Amino acid sequence: MPYLSEIQHRRVIEPNGNEVGKLADIAVVPQGQFPAAQWAILSTPSGEKVVRWGDLAQEIGHLRLRNRLETTPDAQLPPEALRLARDLLDKQIVDTHGAKVVRVNDLQLSEVDGQLRLVGADVGLRGLLRRVGAETVAERVAGLAGRRLPRGIIPWHLVEPLEAAHDAPAKTAAVRLTIPHAKLALLHPADIADIVEEMTADERIAVFQQLDLETAAEALQEVEPEMQAAIVTDLPEERAADILEEMDPDEAADLLQDLSEERRDELVELMDKEEAKDVEELLTHPEDSAGGIMTTDFVALPREFTAAQAIDELRAKKPDPQLTYYLYVVDAEGKLEGVLSLRDLVVAAPETKVSDIMDPNVLKVDAETPKEEVAALIAKYDLLGLPVVDARKKLLGTVTVDDVVELMLPRGWKKRSLRSIAR
Amino acid sequence: MIRTAAAVRRRARVRRASILAFLAVMGPGIITGFAGNDAGGVTTYTSVGAHYGFEMMWLLLLSTVGLLVIQEMCARMGAVTGKGLSDLIRERFGVRWTIVAMFALLIANGSNIVAEYAGIAASLQLFGVQRIVSVPIAAVLIWVLVVFFSYRIVERALFVLVLAYIAYPISAFIVGPPWGEVVRDSVIPTLPIGQAALIAALALVGTTITPYMQFYIQASVVDKGIDRDQYRFERVDVLLGAILTGLNGFFIVVVAGAVLHPAGIHVDSAADAAQALGPLAGQQAQLLFGVGLFGASLLAATIMPLSTSYAICEAFGWESGISKNFREAPVFMGLFTLLVVVGALIVLSPSVPLIPVILVSQNVNGLLLPIVLVFILKLAGDRRIMGDHANGRVSQWIGIGTAVGASVLSIALVAITIVGAAP
Repeated sequence: MPYLSEIQHRRVIEPNGNEVGKLADIAVVPQGQFPAAQWAILSTPSGEKVVRWGDLAQEIGHLRLRNRLETTPDAQLPPEALRLARDLLDKQIVDTHGAKVVRVNDLQLSEVDGQLRLVGADVGLRGLLRRVGAETVAERVAGLAGRRLPRGIIPWHLVEPLEAAHDAPAKTAAVRLTIPHAKLALLHPADIADIVEEMTADERIAVFQQLDLETAAEALQEVEPEMQAAIVTDLPEERAADILEEMDPDEAADLLQDLSEERRDELVELMDKEEAKDVEELLTHPEDSAGGIMTTDFVALPREFTAAQAIDELRAKKPDPQLTYYLYVVDAEGKLEGVLSLRDLVVAAPETKVSDIMDPNVLKVDAETPKEEVAALIAKYDLLGLPVVDARKKLLGTVTVDDVVELMLPRGWKKRSLRSIAR
Repeated sequence: MIRTAAAVRRRARVRRASILAFLAVMGPGIITGFAGNDAGGVTTYTSVGAHYGFEMMWLLLLSTVGLLVIQEMCARMGAVTGKGLSDLIRERFGVRWTIVAMFALLIANGSNIVAEYAGIAASLQLFGVQRIVSVPIAAVLIWVLVVFFSYRIVERALFVLVLAYIAYPISAFIVGPPWGEVVRDSVIPTLPIGQAALIAALALVGTTITPYMQFYIQASVVDKGIDRDQYRFERVDVLLGAILTGLNGFFIVVVAGAVLHPAGIHVDSAADAAQALGPLAGQQAQLLFGVGLFGASLLAATIMPLSTSYAICEAFGWESGISKNFREAPVFMGLFTLLVVVGALIVLSPSVPLIPVILVSQNVNGLLLPIVLVFILKLAGDRRIMGDHANGRVSQWIGIGTAVGASVLSIALVAITIVGAAP
């Protein structure tokens, strides 16, 4: 995964090893999602020479011309071509509203199907440090402090070089970030979250104003906790409350916990009664306990139900997939009696009572159990979820594996893996 | 008959429209000119007049010409490119040179901020307020006003106080200096040899053409959205601003040269400097001088950290804006706060002599001026960026002359200091 700053100024040699100049720039035609490098601009003692990128081979530490310089044909840059270093590097990326966002500190290139393509704009601190040759040192220093330098790469297909104004004397190319919000909505919520985290506060708010509620809620769940709070604080109250209603109650409760008391009360007030009740209940538990991370959505079947009734119930309620891993059986007062799986239910004869097929030995925790302990139990017994009960064994909610998966992973793993998969 | 009336009306409308067009773009130049009359300006001009009479008047006139030409370049760059100065530096010169330019700006402006707090302390001392009280209060006040209100309010209120400077031209005519001598020293260059004279000369140049003014005027032009078509009006504004700075300096030197110089008063404190207004205001001289110095210092102490933070964040693509909080714009808010706090802390130390600190700060500005000028000259002369609006030969040579002049003074001062320090 080379960066422009790493290959710019590399030596260019002829087949016989004779140095003829340096790589000054790379040119692309900005079409398609990830434009391919098509030309190389070499700075030679006799001035700049444009050659086709295919005339060069990348070797360790230098670039080798396939033929001697004199026999390599001169190429012509078409007017729509962009020179990466001259026209894109150091330029501002402005958002769709024309407000300032960030600067192109470096450009990320990648070999895709044997072609070097422009895949991203590095707008983060790393890019800045790399430009001054201090990335490795800074990384080591950050490592000593037990932290990692944040990456800040905007995928190139979301960026669009802005047409230079007609009367502009030269290509004063500002790079415009087009994240057309409609296109953004097609991405996975976790990817939206990644992109949103790189945006400015204003742009972020604009995105969350325009996404449909469901996508907005899912994306917000994936955003870093501190930023979640900032977004919800800056959004208009009505909109924020609508998004919170759509979120899983446990996620919504976690988020609300990070807000000021005033703002929290305002939002809960505006939320739909039923969702608000769930969330308020969750808010009474400490954030890092089983009660704080559990969700109050679960499937509880009355003990006198038959298998057929239970299946009808599921058809009617259409619960989220992670809530159907385990079905809980409760008595009239809501006390947890046992557990059964969807499979148990489906294979049982329709008239069988659920109390007959359930497993009465349920592993359960109470609301005060620390979340690390919950994670440890889930990991140890290979569970997909764990019921949470109060002192009188009343079923309060469930913790599913996705609520604790982050606790099981080494710090920073989630972010990293997502990014590397995205590549 | 009817047609004539309509024609008259139309003509009146056209004339009104062009006056309005002029008034609409007015401001950046004049405000920058006003801002030049800060603690550094008043103190340096008074001190130069007191020590050397009218001897350095020629240097002041040359500096004013340099100022006019350079400010015009920056305003023109703002109008043509729609970009700030640090923006252009980054896009044209890349990360490394941007770090050099921003470091120079940070040090120059940082020393100015120290000077402004020294000005606040010195002016309030005239009214019996000790700096241990006045400086922290001023710093907190500035921080709170900017962060929670708007610096525009401060700007308006303090402009009124700065009007106290009208006392200098009036005094000049009351005192009746030997105008013949003033004119002679304005056209015949003489420079006393020695470290003290060089310090005074460099401070004079540095305070007249402060690096901060170039960043500030270009940013204001961009902020106002002045384009190429409106630029011819903006030129007048720039001219008036430079003349304002020059005249202000001229009258302060004249008054100090006519009142303090013959009396052998060397400016060691604000009280000494205030004596220059004695012939006009008598017993009230300290009040008049104090109010003016206080207003100017507080105004500049408010604007300076703000514009420094904007310029630096613009160069590196960091989120900026005073309506953002520490989480959203950490570098911007951090830098702003740091400049306010460090500036105030340095002046708080009782062993720091106020007037010398102000003079030294203007030397720092003079020393760093050539660095900033080189960037400006390269940018404003670049046809790729400026097209047909690139510097003409006259502008370019006056600019180069200014840079060379400031460099010669700087090098001479450094050399003489080293030689003097050697046994």
